[in-house]
Amino acid sequence: MYRYDEFDAAFVRERTAQFRDQVNRRLSGEINEDQFRPLRLMNGLYLQLHAYMFRIAIPYGTLRSKQLRKLAYLARTYDRGYGHFTTRTNIQFNWPKLRDIPDMMEHLNEVEMHAIQTSGNCIRNISTDQFAGAAADEIIDPRPVAEILRQWSSLHPEFSYLPRKFKIAMIGAPSDRAAIKFHDIGLKAVTNDAGEIGWEVWVGGGLGRTPMIAKLIRGYVAHTDLLAYCEAIVRVYNRYGRRDNKFKARIKILVHEAGIDKIREEVEAEFAQTKGGVLTLPQAELDRITTYFAAPDFERVNATQIDVLREKELDPAYGDWLERNLHSHRQPGYVSVTISLKPVGGAPGDATDEQMEAIANLAENYSFDELRVTHEQNLVLPHVRVSDLREVYDTLVENGLATGNAGLITDMIACPGLDFCSLANARSIPLAQEISRKFQDPQRQRDIGDLKIKISGCINACGHHHVGHIGILGVEKKGTELYQISVGGDGTEKAAIGDILGHGFVADDVPDAIERLVETYIARRESADEPFIAAYRRLGDAPFKEALYGAQ
Amino acid sequence: MVPNSLGFAPPKPDKLRSLGIMALNGMFDEMDGVSVLRQAVTDILPDDIAIVSSFGADSSVLLHMLAQVDPTLPVYFLETGKHFPETLDYVRTLEARLGLTNVRWLRPDPKDLARFDPDGDLWETDPDSCCHIRKTEPLDGEIAQFGGWVTGRKRYQTAERGVLPHFELTGDDRIKVNPLAYFTDADVNAYKIAHGLPEHPLFAKGYKSIGCAPCTTIVAEGEDPRAGRWRGLNKKECGIHFDFNGAIAKPVAAMEKTLFKDGAFIADPFRGWAEGDDPATVRYTHIPLKMFLDNRAAVLANPHPNGLLVSPGDKVEDVAADLGRFASVAIAFPAFGDGRGYTSARLLAERYAYQGEMRAVGDVLMDQLTLMRRCGISAFVVTHPATRKALETGHLTTVNLFYQPIGTTEVPVGTRPFLRRAAERETEPA
Amino acid sequence: MEILTGNELMSGATVYLDRDGHWVEGLQQARVFLKEEAEARDAAIAATKKTMRINSLEIETVTLRDGVIHPDRIRERIRAEGPTAPRFDRQHLDKDGHVSI
Repeated sequence: MYRYDEFDAAFVRERTAQFRDQVNRRLSGEINEDQFRPLRLMNGLYLQLHAYMFRIAIPYGTLRSKQLRKLAYLARTYDRGYGHFTTRTNIQFNWPKLRDIPDMMEHLNEVEMHAIQTSGNCIRNISTDQFAGAAADEIIDPRPVAEILRQWSSLHPEFSYLPRKFKIAMIGAPSDRAAIKFHDIGLKAVTNDAGEIGWEVWVGGGLGRTPMIAKLIRGYVAHTDLLAYCEAIVRVYNRYGRRDNKFKARIKILVHEAGIDKIREEVEAEFAQTKGGVLTLPQAELDRITTYFAAPDFERVNATQIDVLREKELDPAYGDWLERNLHSHRQPGYVSVTISLKPVGGAPGDATDEQMEAIANLAENYSFDELRVTHEQNLVLPHVRVSDLREVYDTLVENGLATGNAGLITDMIACPGLDFCSLANARSIPLAQEISRKFQDPQRQRDIGDLKIKISGCINACGHHHVGHIGILGVEKKGTELYQISVGGDGTEKAAIGDILGHGFVADDVPDAIERLVETYIARRESADEPFIAAYRRLGDAPFKEALYGAQ
Repeated sequence: MVPNSLGFAPPKPDKLRSLGIMALNGMFDEMDGVSVLRQAVTDILPDDIAIVSSFGADSSVLLHMLAQVDPTLPVYFLETGKHFPETLDYVRTLEARLGLTNVRWLRPDPKDLARFDPDGDLWETDPDSCCHIRKTEPLDGEIAQFGGWVTGRKRYQTAERGVLPHFELTGDDRIKVNPLAYFTDADVNAYKIAHGLPEHPLFAKGYKSIGCAPCTTIVAEGEDPRAGRWRGLNKKECGIHFDFNGAIAKPVAAMEKTLFKDGAFIADPFRGWAEGDDPATVRYTHIPLKMFLDNRAAVLANPHPNGLLVSPGDKVEDVAADLGRFASVAIAFPAFGDGRGYTSARLLAERYAYQGEMRAVGDVLMDQLTLMRRCGISAFVVTHPATRKALETGHLTTVNLFYQPIGTTEVPVGTRPFLRRAAERETEPA
Repeated sequence: MEILTGNELMSGATVYLDRDGHWVEGLQQARVFLKEEAEARDAAIAATKKTMRINSLEIETVTLRDGVIHPDRIRERIRAEGPTAPRFDRQHLDKDGHVSI
């Protein structure tokens, strides 16, 4: 994992001092809220319905145990004993006081963390594959390049006031676990004809009011040129992105309106000027940063088969957990473990300070001190010895973290919704709780298989509803919350935006409606091996429409 | 107020005399400065004429002519106390080289300095008054002795001088002689070369019109050569070139200074474009980029110093070839949240190598100043009170470390993540 | 009928303008402005802005039933009570959080 050097440490300290000064100026009345708002937002501080919300960056979703312990400390000391992990792999606290924020930042600085650019119209936290550096299918670990991009984008003087926020995601494997096609820039590691690894660049994806799948803008960019190429894209966006309408200001609209060919032409012209210049990334620097992410000292153990069926016989809950929450590792004898933050009846993505402490201990003892945050609001122990699984599991059980539902219907994404968020039109969390209670039977969840439900409380789509196999969007209509259901979305390499099948439902009717969709799928699937999304693609929307609204 | 100290009763104008002077104009070939000078010194005003020389970039021509006519003629040099050391050296160089025997140094009255400019910074706040006590006052006492003056003025130099004759009668019935009236910049240079005259040491460094050090800057290619004088100050003529009839050297009204540059708020010589402005004649005005493109020939032919206004949405590429024409570029930030100006600034500074002043105008707030600076903006028009206060008091808490390589000049340690280690290693003891 | 609500600067807590010109936590203490009291309401808004201590200042429409104030929007009902899930108490003012006009 990356470690701050003196420069990085001084940088975040200066930023904290600057924010402390800004807070003091606000408290003394020297600046008003209109002037303060953009400053606090650029430091991750929102004002929500009930209180301030403080969002802390977790760069490319990577944490050390010491850092998670610090987050637990902040939850305990300045908040109400919990934190909420987000779809941008960040964490947010819902109850801090304004005057405490600079102190919280200082605590973060102590463990090489910050809240820079977790909001505002700038380049946001870069997200990537939660199994980076561990996954068996990976061709390159994207984190060194992600770290370099983090540095390049931190307080970038030209790109701090873009038309709108700007999000970059990266994936180093053919399986897209980072939803790169729904980002402003998506980077996918590829190999060129000469056998060198570089980046395929996608641009103009996004969710929100106008969901768009990214377009391929360049098939290959070498590591050396990546910063120059990204700068070219962001510069073209800064100059030509719309600023007349907040809802049309993302780069996806620019790409859509101008056309990818025109944008490519502009970016290439800009790239021709910047290529080979000061942003050229020398191999030596990439190598230097890469050493921070070197594989840990894995023990040389033989590949260990896990007999899930046998374990299921002995301890069904453990067996189920083994079946769902492990991901294959490149190192024989190791696996990556998903820690589900989606217990039945819980708030997706929430973890208490005690849970965070427990997970930090697990990371320290069983995963080379490393942790990941997933964009699906779970945590991951990336490098766990197969022989340690039982001990890890038992600790998770003790802390209420052993839900074996990764990728199942109860492993939902939900935004904070109208319970917390000042932008929301409808609540998300109570709906997620109801749906998880409806499908709480583990056996039933397994029968249903892979199924991603994603819930947003407003059109801004923080809950990624457009790419849920089943997506739920909360709207407000005549003083009541209504929920639109869409089907067929997919955030992976087979990117698709879900189809809205008809009118919305009141909250009480949503779990039943979901159940009807699920029953239709089970009745019509070719076999238990055909997942929901595949069946939907094969069958089309008609049977699902009928399930929701009856025969037409 | 600076006292009016004209030490003589103005003589009455004599109509016949003035007609005679007018008749003198046209007697001499336009370029025959020596004959003009000889006529004045020997026939019109024998022993009653002197010369004031700035010993500036092209003073050598007139002094060389003078040396041919009468090297004993009084030559006044205003030692204002604010000259470049190079200028003082140059006075001695020319004196020796041309054999001038009567160079008189005039210094300001110490009592005036103590009273009006104790800290020596009057030029900054009130340049006209500075000129008054350092130039006009010392000269006033001398001027009364003579019936006429030789000047080095040339009609091409500024618009007001377009009709300058060889001989003029002033409002107080004195005669001003302008032997170089028809000389152009090229003529001056050709004369200097033909006679092997030494250059002012600063000429080669880009100074075309040299006055006191604080009020003289380098002139951009294509600019009025005198644009470098009083740049940044709302002033264009030196007091001593006006008629000495008491109408000069009123202290400039205390104007509000909103331009922050080089660590201080200073008077701003530039103004914004206004409805009805004519691109061919405006001066010290930021001409909007589109207005420039629509009137390119007129602006390029306009001899006055001007600037360019770049607004969000403007493409600086379109003016890349003409940037040298502008002494200042104003980058407009109509709202602080509109970040297009940052890209414009970087392109101007880095891609198109614009060397002049680049200033931010509009919604300029303290929390954006560092970003603007890093993009190449060096001057700020500030109206926001808290930002002004922060700049005045130096209380500007900002992040001074940065990762990205931005800008054209220095690349501080840390700007490039990939160079940082190398830079650190270099500073380590061996 | 309308009430004035906002979030106090220090704590971010939801507050309402009461009949005595204090910004208080309790929805039921809120001063209800009738239609014809728009002038008084706007004066209260202007006075509040001057304090620079109340953010997200908004006019909310409410209904009075048996003397009890019911905000028309769900959002406001949640703001008054705190989040419904997970259920948390609303944010409270600190001792330096009292603002008056």
